[in-house]
Amino acid sequence: MEKIIVCIKGVPKPGSIKVDPETHTLKRENMELILNPNDRPALEMALRLKNTYNTEVVVISMGPPNVIPLLKYIYALGADQIILLSDRAFAGSDTLATSYVLAKAIEKLSPFSLVLMGLKSIDGETAQVPPETASLLGIPSLTNVKDLFMERGKWIAIREMDYGEEEIEVTPPIVASVSPLAFDYIRPPSLKRLLEVKTKEPLICQVKDLNLDPQRLGLQGSPTQVIEVFEKKIETKGLVLEGSPEELVEKLIEILKDKGLIKF
Amino acid sequence: MFEKIKLEDLSKENILAYGEFYKGELNSSSLEILSPLKEIAQTLNKKLILVSLIGSLENIKDWEEIKKSLADEVWFVINEELKDFREDLYTEVLVKIVKFSQPYGFFFPATKIGMSLAPRVAGALQVGLCAHVNNLEVKDNQIIMARPTYGENIIAKLISKSIPIMATISLGAFGIKYGEKEPSIKEIIFPEDFVWKSKLKIRRFAPSKKKPTKLSTAKVIVAGGRGLKNKETFQKLFELANLLGAEVGATRPVCYEGWVEEERMIGISGVTVRPKVYIGFGISGALQHTVGMENSEFIIAVNTDKEAPLVKIANLALIGDAGKILELLLKNLSK
Repeated sequence: MEKIIVCIKGVPKPGSIKVDPETHTLKRENMELILNPNDRPALEMALRLKNTYNTEVVVISMGPPNVIPLLKYIYALGADQIILLSDRAFAGSDTLATSYVLAKAIEKLSPFSLVLMGLKSIDGETAQVPPETASLLGIPSLTNVKDLFMERGKWIAIREMDYGEEEIEVTPPIVASVSPLAFDYIRPPSLKRLLEVKTKEPLICQVKDLNLDPQRLGLQGSPTQVIEVFEKKIETKGLVLEGSPEELVEKLIEILKDKGLIKF
Repeated sequence: MFEKIKLEDLSKENILAYGEFYKGELNSSSLEILSPLKEIAQTLNKKLILVSLIGSLENIKDWEEIKKSLADEVWFVINEELKDFREDLYTEVLVKIVKFSQPYGFFFPATKIGMSLAPRVAGALQVGLCAHVNNLEVKDNQIIMARPTYGENIIAKLISKSIPIMATISLGAFGIKYGEKEPSIKEIIFPEDFVWKSKLKIRRFAPSKKKPTKLSTAKVIVAGGRGLKNKETFQKLFELANLLGAEVGATRPVCYEGWVEEERMIGISGVTVRPKVYIGFGISGALQHTVGMENSEFIIAVNTDKEAPLVKIANLALIGDAGKILELLLKNLSK
């Protein structure tokens, strides 16, 4: 089987987010990054497929250099190769520009049988990059995939729809986004690899290495633009009650009766 | 049955809305998104068109809804190969329609299908796509879209510099409204050499065993967050919901913890609700959640933290341990 590529993202640690007041984009440079939690199931799926089909797992990430520790951690999980796509020209990319860079990098890694990504990042939360990347690559995409295996050279995917579950057959290569709830167990890094990774560095690719059109990168290559960001201010508007649980429950029951939700 | 129209004869520069059909049923989210889009279309003096891909006309179960809808026109593409949703073929069909009708905007409901399809269409057209928009306005002839962002209490206003302007619209963010005039219905005829082929083959479909939740239309909602501390306590919300005739909702973290299915998630990544009474147990009220419930008529917050955002927007806030209060409430109610 041809290799499996997993795209992962470093996301700001919740609570540490700062917005650049001029460009309205996230200040990523000095931010503490964590691995997007939704990428863990995608990595787990890739590593399980690696065990079953004895194939290679290549993990790529587009982001600033502080994603490197995350990639090294992923190497310790069992990835074979780690690649960072990093260039100042990428800053401010929306989903179209991001998908363009990923598609170009994935193309360069051809042949491959599968690209896996998390369903969505917990910062941008658009869930757009997996199908958009597939669209740019001109290959099929599936979202919310719970299970994936191979049968007679074809991928069989179980995916969650709003209406139920579908079993789909599709010829590789494809891009799939993995359901956050796909696995009950997600492996920890191996001790041996944790030691090994100390000397392991990711391959770093820049614009010049990927043959990219500068017009399609960063803010310039991003049709969607944030024109304003504001924090939602809230002021106390109602009644705030303190007291013993008994008193509070009494009050709550009174209100529920008043609203006609319970009748005594 | 109704007017057939060739791709090259489609009217141009309209606002298109994706009408999601699945097994003959129109997803109500497609009717929801017509509400803000109608206003936008009227302001910009454009027609609003619902575009649907279906396998055959016989399966359609919602003619009444379609006829009452706010759309000025409904465009159908009908082909046996379109009976199941397959994103590659659906994308090709929609891209063709866009290339010929050059719409000004193209909007999708943020259903699983919408979120699989819209990015493929945007990618193929190389245009921008905004996600989970929950507010739309026109300013200086420009569509401005708003969405909560960065997972925190920040709202972003976005524009898209490419045409068509594209976005997925949050589920439940807008109520369904009906129009005065029946839309005219057209069937788009594709050229004979169009290849109706998909690389996807659906081998099996297992409909959800659970009934879909009625969260978005519930009159009463009892919701729980991390403050309930564990799954067992969270599950007690179902007892309370039973007693009050309510639906159970949840915040994002507890869905990800696996305390409850993700379809009960209220907020930007989940469902938007506007019940008559909303009770939040142990929910601090990150914007992620509150945008999905702030239009509830009466909000009750139960939380230990007096400064929690949900406490501040609540009509009534009870300061105390949510789990204890929930248990005591159940005890008193079942007396």
